[in-house]
Amino acid sequence: MKIMLNGQEREAREGETILEMCRREGVPIPTFCYHQAFGGQGACRMCMVELREEGQEQMRLVAACTYPIKSSVEIITESERIQRLRRTIVMLLARRAPDNPLMEALARTYSSPRLTAIEVEPPNCILCGLCIHACEEMGRTAIWSMFRGIDKRIGTPYDEASEDCIGCAACARICPTQAINLEEEGSTRRIWNKTFDLVACQRCGKHYATREELEYLWERSEYGQEQLCESCRKKTLAINMKSFQQ
Amino acid sequence: MQASINVNSNDRQTVLVCCGTGCTANGGREVFKTFETLLKDHAEIELLPVIKATGCNGWCEKGPLVRLLPRDITYCSVAPEDVSEIIDKTLIEGILIKRLLYRDPVSKEYLSSHHQTDFYRKQHKIALRNIGEIDPGQIDDYIEREGYQALKKALQEMSGQDIINIVQAAGLRGRGGGGFPTGRKWQACKNASGEEKFIICNGDEGDPGAFMDRSILEGDPHTIIEGMILGAYAVGASRGYVYVRDEYDLAVQNLGQAIGNARQRGYLGNSILGSDLAFDIEIVRGGGAFVCGEETALIASIEGRTGEPHDKYVFPTEKGLWGMPTVINNVETWANVPVIVLHGAEPFARIGTENSKGTKVFSLVGKVVNTGLVEVPMGTTLREVIYEIGGGLLKKRSFKAVQTGGPSGGCIPASLLDLPIDFDSLIEAGSMMGSGGLIVMDDHTCMVEVARYYTNFLAGESCGKCTPCREGLRAQLEILNRICDGEGTIEDLDLLEDISVTMQGASLCALGRTAPNPVLSTLRYFREEYLAHIEERRCPAGVCRALTTFYIDPVKCTGCQVCKKHCSVNAIQGERKEVHVIDESICIRCGECYRQCAFDAVQLRQEELR
Repeated sequence: MKIMLNGQEREAREGETILEMCRREGVPIPTFCYHQAFGGQGACRMCMVELREEGQEQMRLVAACTYPIKSSVEIITESERIQRLRRTIVMLLARRAPDNPLMEALARTYSSPRLTAIEVEPPNCILCGLCIHACEEMGRTAIWSMFRGIDKRIGTPYDEASEDCIGCAACARICPTQAINLEEEGSTRRIWNKTFDLVACQRCGKHYATREELEYLWERSEYGQEQLCESCRKKTLAINMKSFQQ
Repeated sequence: MQASINVNSNDRQTVLVCCGTGCTANGGREVFKTFETLLKDHAEIELLPVIKATGCNGWCEKGPLVRLLPRDITYCSVAPEDVSEIIDKTLIEGILIKRLLYRDPVSKEYLSSHHQTDFYRKQHKIALRNIGEIDPGQIDDYIEREGYQALKKALQEMSGQDIINIVQAAGLRGRGGGGFPTGRKWQACKNASGEEKFIICNGDEGDPGAFMDRSILEGDPHTIIEGMILGAYAVGASRGYVYVRDEYDLAVQNLGQAIGNARQRGYLGNSILGSDLAFDIEIVRGGGAFVCGEETALIASIEGRTGEPHDKYVFPTEKGLWGMPTVINNVETWANVPVIVLHGAEPFARIGTENSKGTKVFSLVGKVVNTGLVEVPMGTTLREVIYEIGGGLLKKRSFKAVQTGGPSGGCIPASLLDLPIDFDSLIEAGSMMGSGGLIVMDDHTCMVEVARYYTNFLAGESCGKCTPCREGLRAQLEILNRICDGEGTIEDLDLLEDISVTMQGASLCALGRTAPNPVLSTLRYFREEYLAHIEERRCPAGVCRALTTFYIDPVKCTGCQVCKKHCSVNAIQGERKEVHVIDESICIRCGECYRQCAFDAVQLRQEELR
């Protein structure tokens, strides 16, 4: 259907979110809590845009990541009103991760004033919730948000080593502010108060994954149980494909 | 005053003992049991009176209340020791017991019935019509007062659409806070397609000081059940849930019993009153979070997920509980439905203002003489509620503000006392209707501290999911703490406003969008108090400890020793009938002496502290 995006007519698919449409059309909208693997959460509110539905007089603010386009709407992604909101949101979030390069860059972009830093747990966490989604998507629930309001934070139950954690570190890799502490030393990995043994790649010898993660994946996939790191797996795959072609 | 009353009535006498939570806490159950025990020994009474334990009368200030019918006598603050006297004198001999009657504070007259008091006379009861009149455990009590008549009428004469039309014509708007037109909500749900549809009653009442939902659930549970059945019939729902705040034990108990009784009588179940309508109700106990009063968080909580809201760009009427079309209405809204359906839209629409029809229940609390639940027509002014029904301020202090709409409502100043209360006028004044809390504040209240209190409440009760609400409240709370501690700056006020704009515009749910109201409304109407804290380093109301010291004016002090008795740290010295002195080295500046002194002898030292 036809919609108006920043004064230009564009084509939108019914039911897709404003953010999905804008990403496809190459219109940038900043986000913290959105990841294309999970869809929108509507939590960080950085993606607020102005919107007018048919028959409405005034523009109203909606979150681009959760608003599904169902009629021919008019959308504005940049305005003074939106800039002001983003400036304040960055100001409020940056104090959770004061020295983080991403937050510093955003604070410059939006000329956000600097507030005194606050101590949060884990340090630098901006509570975007992506780590929880990553863990859930892995089929595990090792971490979750605890408490509510200003006390809300992310962690394992009772901050103890969680039985559900397989040490896959998906949470740490998706974190936009590198807030999740991932320590690797030789053949051990430590994450969320739990220590794991790392398995060595059969081809190059690099320690690449925890035993728990591999066993968990083997249980659920049809692939063979070869122990190969990511780059070696690609290489073997390429070699196999070549021999297949010959 | 009439000393004796007509005993020749042929009607059977009824003793109604209020056993609402407030009266129970004051010994109402014991009074009820004493009546039961003692009346058994009175074999000489020909026709033994019926004793009923009723729901909350709303006049908790004077509880436990005992009402005697058919003579319509109300006794206040009744203790179990008074029961035998009530039986001997009033029930048998027909003599009024003066000391148990309510004495009008203005006319000094003793009033035999609570219906003569200003507190009741000026009220108009629809949602609370049965409360205090019936035993919530007896379904026949409800049926006697037009109960389940609306359901019978609907099943015999009306279609589902007819019900929606009536509710729409009546102009009923949601009583939980948002004020969304109920008929429109139902129509949207009826039009939506789904394998199954659901009805939810929102009883997650969490506003500090508000207790109308509890009172209705405890005192008249069948009206909720009947309202929900009518809603189910209107939209085509098959199952209903009542989400009750976990702390409301008696409500859960009474409602559970009522649902059981309704099933036995065929009002709930597979073929309601022999018709094709199938509907049943389940109670869900709340998860203990204020935010679960928000529709989408409540749905998440019923589904067993974390009670966090999500964006409502698709309304629950389209995709609600388990993805099915769902109607959620507040307890008080449901309580209005049977009356509207039975008597038609017109009598209801005649009450109230142009865009807010009917009545609204308020819980009137704070520094007023009469506290309790009041139900008044929409459009009644704040002055009428506070001064005529509420009896004015305690200790004849002067009025400073009334906080309406729960924690995320706003504070309305004296200049707006003649504001008619309805959904739209309150929003215009920077506050909101909310669930109907009215907290009256006197001149001993610090408005910065009030803003700090509510912001602190919201900071703990926000779900913490979205940035503007969670981090905005955190930052606002820090600033307000700073100002109350005398460390605020003028720039802090700009920052408070800037954060408020972002919270209003960008927060995920209504909690976050209204959360800056306490700050914004006090800044709008009481900015000079903020300035006094920041520029002069003083708290004009004498509340903020860091900015206040107290002293006793030797001319005004009568040596009555009231302040001395109330001082928790023994900082006040002085013999009876002699001038008292506060030892500032011991004083913790709690201000209790200041609030207690009836002679204005305790005063604030209002000089700059630094």
